[in-house]
Formats: sequence, C-alpha cells, structure tokens
Amino acid sequence: MSDTYIIQIKDLTKIFGNGVEIRALDGVNLNIERGEFLAIVGPSGSGKSTLLNQIGILDTPTSGTILLDGVDVTKMSDKQRSITRNRQLGFIFQYHHLLPDFNALENAMMPLLISGVKSSRAREVASLMLHEVGLGDRMEHRPNQLSGGQNQRVAIARALVNNPSIVIGDEPTGNLDTKSSESIYELLRKLNREHKQTFILVTHDERMAAKTDRIIRLVDGRIAANSHNSV
Amino acid sequence: MYELFIAIRHLTSRRRQTLFSILAVGLAVTGLMWSQAVMVGFTDEMYSKTVDRMAHVTVEPKEGEDYIHLYRKLTEEITRIDGVVGVSPVIAGAATFRFKDKNKNVVMQGINVEAQDSVLFINEDIVEGSFRDLEITPNSVVVGDALAEKLGVKIEDTIDASFPEANPAALKVVGIYNSGTPLDETIAITSLPTAQDFLDVSNVVTTILVRGDDRERAQAISEEIDAMGYPASGWKETNPEILQTLKVEGTSNYISMALIVIIASFGIVSTLFMAVMEKTKEIGMLMAMGVPRRSIMMIFVLESGILGLLGAVFGVILGAALAMQMGTYEYGTEVMAGITSIPFVVRIQDAVIIVLFTFLLNLIGGIYPASQASKLKPVEAIGRE
Ligand SMILES: Nc1ncnc2c1ncn2[C@@H]1O[C@H](COP(=O)(O)OP(=O)(O)OP(=O)(O)O)[C@@H](O)[C@H]1O
Ligand SMILES: [Mg+2]
Repeated sequence: MSDTYIIQIKDLTKIFGNGVEIRALDGVNLNIERGEFLAIVGPSGSGKSTLLNQIGILDTPTSGTILLDGVDVTKMSDKQRSITRNRQLGFIFQYHHLLPDFNALENAMMPLLISGVKSSRAREVASLMLHEVGLGDRMEHRPNQLSGGQNQRVAIARALVNNPSIVIGDEPTGNLDTKSSESIYELLRKLNREHKQTFILVTHDERMAAKTDRIIRLVDGRIAANSHNSV
Repeated sequence: MYELFIAIRHLTSRRRQTLFSILAVGLAVTGLMWSQAVMVGFTDEMYSKTVDRMAHVTVEPKEGEDYIHLYRKLTEEITRIDGVVGVSPVIAGAATFRFKDKNKNVVMQGINVEAQDSVLFINEDIVEGSFRDLEITPNSVVVGDALAEKLGVKIEDTIDASFPEANPAALKVVGIYNSGTPLDETIAITSLPTAQDFLDVSNVVTTILVRGDDRERAQAISEEIDAMGYPASGWKETNPEILQTLKVEGTSNYISMALIVIIASFGIVSTLFMAVMEKTKEIGMLMAMGVPRRSIMMIFVLESGILGLLGAVFGVILGAALAMQMGTYEYGTEVMAGITSIPFVVRIQDAVIIVLFTFLLNLIGGIYPASQASKLKPVEAIGRE
C-alpha cells in the first residue's frame, strides 16, 4: 500500500488561534501516488497553504497523521524533520525566497551543501540543474539582478537539486504574468515527467489546474472535490 | 561547513556594518592592549626599582636566639641551593654617631663587601670613595649621603660611634653612598669585624641576605632555608605593600578596560539582532531546506565570533604598534618608589589572552540573538505576504 502512495494523510486537523478558533484543516483524508502531478485549488482561506505546510513538515498538525513514504512525520524529532525536509522535500513558494546574498548557482547549491555534499560536486549538480531550468547563462547573478520569472526558475532548480521525492509549490506562478506562468508550468510538468517526482501545487489558475493529473478542491478546510483529469 | 560559508557571506554583504563593528571592537581592544603594555611596563619598573634592589630572602636567627652563630656553614649551604646567586651575612646593631657637635642614632651594618654586592649591588650606589676600603682600612665606615649631610661629615672625617654596652670606636669615613631610599639617613655600613667589635660579640651575624636568579623563586628558596632550621622569609612577606600596590593598580586597570571591550561587543550583538530580524524569511527558507536549529544558531554565533576575532586582532596589532612606537612614557618627576618613566612592554602572551578574551566574549554575546534565530518557526518565519 505504502508502495503506491507516497503520501497518506489521515484525519488531518489544524486549528489556529487562541480564543477564536479557526479550523484551517478539518479532518482531511488524502492519498497521493508516487509521481503524481496534483493541483490543490479552493477559495482564499480554505486551507490550501496550511495543508501544504503540513505535507512539507514546516508545521505540526493539531491531530491526525501524515505518512511520507510510510513514515509518520508527526512523530519525528526536530532533527529528523530537518533531514526529511532536506532529502525528501523540495519547496517552491509564491515569492522565490532566494538568499539575497548568494548568486543563482550558490542558491541552487545550498540544499546540497546542507546535506553535506562537497562543494565541487554541489557546484556541478547545481549548474546542471540551472541549465535544465534554462538559466545556464545567469549563474553568477544575484536575485536582485534577475527578473521575477528568472528568480522563480532558480527557486525551482533549488527545490529539485537534491532530487527530492516530493516537490510542493504554493502558488509558484502566483506572482508572474501569464506568459512566464505558462513556461514555468511547462517546466514543472517536464521535470515531473523526466524525474518521476511527485508534484503538489497550490494554484488559483484554473487553466493550469486543468492540465494536472488530479485536482483537489478545498473548502473551509475540507476536501470538497477530488477529480482526476483525463489526459 | 556551509554554516561558515553563509556566515562569512552575510558579513561581506553588509560590509559597512561589518567594518564598523570590527572598528568599534578594534579600538576598544587597542586601548586594552596599550594599557596592558603600560601596566606591564609599570610592574616591571616597580619591580626593578624595589624588589630587584632588595634581598629576595632574609634569614633570621633560630627561635629564641639573638644571633646566627655558625653563619659560615649556613652561608655555604644556602649558596648550594638551586637558583641562589648571592648570599650575604650581615650583623646589625644600633649606634649613636657623633661628629663635632652633631649626634645621630643610626643602624650599623657589618658586611662582607663582595657578598653584600652580590645581593644588593651596593657598589652601584657609591657616590664618593669606595666600599672596598672598608676591608682595607680598619675601623672605617661608609655612610648614606643624607646621613653625611645631617652630621656634616666628608670623606676622611672620623666619626665617634658609641652605644650603651657597646665598645666605643672612632670610625673613618671612606665612602658615601646614595641608594635613593630613606635608608640613606639611617644606615651606616662597616666591615663585619668592625661591627662585631663595636657590638662586642664574637664572630656571629644577625641576618643572612639572599638573592635568587629570579624574584619569583624567593618562596622556594626560603622554604629550603626554613627546612635547615633557620626562619627565612621571602620579599613578598617582608614587603607585602609592593604586591598590594601592583594588585590594586592592575585590577582597576583591567576592569575599566574590559568594560570598554564589553561595551564595544554589545555593538556587535545589537547589529546581530538587527540582522536576525532582517533575515527572518531567509532563516525560514533555510529551515525549509533542512538546516537544523543548531546550524541556524551556529551561523549567527560564527558571525559574532568572526567580528570579535577580527576586531581583536586588529586592535591588538594597533595597540602594540602604538605602544612600541611610543617606547616609554616620561613623567618628568618621580611618581612613586623612584619611578620617573614607564616603558611600554608588549608581550605576546598579553596579545593572545586579549584576542581569546574578546573572541570568547563575542561568541558568548552572539548566543542570545543566534538562539532567537534558531527558535523561529519555519512557517511563521517564511510568512504569508
Ligand atoms: N498562523 C496562523 N494563525 C492564525 N490563523 C491562520 C494562520 N495561518 C492560517 N490561518 C488561517 O487559516 C485559514 C487557512 O489559511 P491558509 O493560508 O491555509 O489559506 P489559503 O487557502 O492558503 O488561502 P490563500 O488562497 O489566500 O493563500 C485562514 O482562515 C487563515 O486566516
Ligand atoms: Mg495560501
């Protein structure tokens, strides 16, 4: 079972707030297959980011469990979470969140350096990855010397450089114009096909969502619809 | 060591703050290094004007006895102790000196000139005549310049010495000395036999003075002499006020200078706090990439430590250069114990200690902002714009 499902979410609930209680996630059950390219949609405040942060073990749930590759992340120590985030997960946010003091290549190398890869090797791998996202000629540029779309490509290279089994993107094209959004989407789709990694993307863009394998619709912290797209 | 890579990049990116922090700590350390050079110089000068001119160890008669009887044997035994470079048996007693119509009570010291010179370098103090004449001319005396003035005597004059129960004698002045201390008014020096005859005693002495090759060896030497059955005391026991003076000067100096360095280091810590606040999102992203809390902490502690280290090295070099450039500080007048100028003494060990102290201080100071950074929650740090 855990062979087909890379992510298994059971009764996941996240309650925010002291005093006024906000049920950002309310008993979510969801299984995601290895290599799936999945979209999470829903109105603002429906809990999309909250769900993604849970899968990315950036936050802890109020109740329920999340199994990544069969391991319950809610029972992990702080250190194990760090290692899991580094080895198994890749993050792309709406804002690129690149380290401003480092150039594109160094930013893309960072997850490798963190996992203890030698810097010469990290340089090779990160540079290949930057070529793959189409930024082979901008490696020495710092984030403030690159456009929004270019920075987002660096962020994608960084998310994928450690070859994670799961890539999560919270509105990765939310900050870009239609044209760059489309090319970023195409890039993610290509990487998904080539590397067989699982992609979970939160998006407001229905056209983009329509091109994924499956759409999860969240409303008030619950799954309102779970539909497979015909390829 | 990606932590070091990130820390160094943070520092080089905010170059202006980095230079300012290094400069602030550096200047404080310059002051510390410089004043340490003054302090060491003062200490050295103080020692050379006091301890280096006195007997390191003083040996007294056995309990209940007035004299050291077998002093020749004891002197030989003391000479054989490791580190002893000079041993001088001395007999001292009171005397009244009279010259023409002037009287003065003095302490008469009978010495062996060569031996006394090996302990107290008396020959350096002679201003007229010579100590050596004491052993050539029977019944001769060398007096301090102040005493000579009080009595109105000159070389070749003859002083009448007397005291109850002593054998009156006529002593010919063969030398005048000036040691620069108040003792010049009270001590009159003769040969051993002259003093023994005057005091009407056999071949005995009242004290034995000892010099070691190192003033710090006094304790060890005096313990060995104690073990021979004669009470001996080192200069630290006989002149506790010297150490006291140095300790007071040294401590207040250290405290004020260390405070300046601590204040300068506060600058680094507050810069670090600002950096942590500025970099909240970055820290969140680093955590998302799998940087554990320990490493987040290490990044910022390293930043603080590097600033402290660079500031310290810069300050030590500048402080040492200034001190060496100036050489000595001239007071113009005597400030204490015959000290008129202070040499700046730059010692490697002081530089090393100051650098370590500043480095550690900044490492420790960095811990608080660094731990604030490491306690951030990844989701909250990354934020939701
Ligand atoms: N740290 C927090 N503290 C309190 N409430 C929170 C917190 N984070 C999220 N919430 C609340 O939880 C609910 C879900 O928020 P979430 O950010 O997951 O929504 P979203 O679906 O991502 O919305 P959007 O499309 O606007 O990004 C919202 O009502 C939000 O106000
Ligand atoms: Mg959101």
